[in-house]
Amino acid sequence: MKSKYLLVLGTVSLIGLPGAVLAHGATVEYRQVQAIEIDATYSGGQPMGNAQVTVYAPNNPAKPWLTGMTDPQGRFSFTPDPAQPGNWEVKVRQAGHGDLVTVPVREEIALSPSKTKESASLSRWVARGDRDYASKTQQVLLGAAGVWGFFGTALFFARRKPE
Amino acid sequence: MTKLLLLASLTLIVPGVLIGCSQQETSQEPVSDPASQTSGETALDTTAETTEQPSGTLVLVANGEDFIREGFTTKDGWRIDFENAFVTLDEVNAYQTEPPFDPDGAATLNATQEIPLLQQPTTVDLAKGAAETAPVPVTRKQAPQGTYNAIAWKVIPAETGPAEGSTILLKGTAQKEGRNVDFTISFDQPLAYTCGEYVGDERKGILTSTEQAELETTLHFDHIFGDAETAAGDALNQDAVGFDPFAALAEGDSLNVDSNRLKAELSAQDYQKLLKAIAGLGHVGEGHCRLEN
Repeated sequence: MKSKYLLVLGTVSLIGLPGAVLAHGATVEYRQVQAIEIDATYSGGQPMGNAQVTVYAPNNPAKPWLTGMTDPQGRFSFTPDPAQPGNWEVKVRQAGHGDLVTVPVREEIALSPSKTKESASLSRWVARGDRDYASKTQQVLLGAAGVWGFFGTALFFARRKPE
Repeated sequence: MTKLLLLASLTLIVPGVLIGCSQQETSQEPVSDPASQTSGETALDTTAETTEQPSGTLVLVANGEDFIREGFTTKDGWRIDFENAFVTLDEVNAYQTEPPFDPDGAATLNATQEIPLLQQPTTVDLAKGAAETAPVPVTRKQAPQGTYNAIAWKVIPAETGPAEGSTILLKGTAQKEGRNVDFTISFDQPLAYTCGEYVGDERKGILTSTEQAELETTLHFDHIFGDAETAAGDALNQDAVGFDPFAALAEGDSLNVDSNRLKAELSAQDYQKLLKAIAGLGHVGEGHCRLEN
């Protein structure tokens, strides 16, 4: 290890081809995904170009999930597996220099790249929201309605009969 | 009157029953909700609270890398080979941290698990063994499974043995242009580091049940002497002392210096460089450490 360098993280939105195109039976679709971009530089500010990159997923941090190299500007981007929210770790090394950075990926972000899983995620979120909302409503509306019902019934039986 | 009592009872009981049913449903929600079960934070909290977790063995090693085991050529052209490189370690603790500890930041270490690995001064010789030899084993300890992604350690003066009084003692031979210098260099500067995760060819600190995992303290001696294989303009060589200033203090073919003599006889600039280089010795592989003193 000769000197420190910095890894600067950024999250970028990678937007695919705009819209679906049909031509000669080919189908091109697009989807929006959120990717992680790594920016590796030495302490002096020089980019760590063509450095070795290893990405570890939260579910199996001992085994590389993805390997690659930074571009000449020291940048590298990847899209986390939507099924694995948690701490993603990215190791960048070059000629005895190295560092590891942890990228916390939340579930709602991780699930967004896949259309199918995004739908599943949204459904689950809505379901949870409805359930939370309903439980509070029960405490207020059902309680009040119940009290008023029994109170009204009791008043009905307790009323004085006309003489 | 009976009807009024009945009315009062129903007024109190019914809302209670309704609210009770509502609270029961709410309390079951986290258990049945897969989303909350898969969050990293929840999983870690559960792990930390479990008293009987599966455990394995954490092995602490110390490493002076090939620079110490093989020798190397300094930035100013001295070929140096080490006979001994004594370092005295103490108060070594392994941690599982969440969020992962960043030694380059200002945040404090937030441990979800702490394992004291070494609680008494232990002197190791980093030059022991051949070049391809694995790092020097220091100690081993049973620990709950998990990812130990931080380690804190101290380098203190040895209380006994060949390095007594020294935090680091380097003994070896330097050669340049037909001149040989047998050197013994003693430093007494105590060091305390808090480090993040090991960075190297392999991953370390990931302990699964019944297995063993290594944690490493690494010292980069090229920070003191520089490295001829690295560009002269590289920050490493710009910040390194080299060996010429040490050789200038030799008496004939012998150099025997300690921190007091180095402070008195090195130039102020070289001495400041030396202090900074010693402070930057501590790493975890290529991973970084924060100097705490």
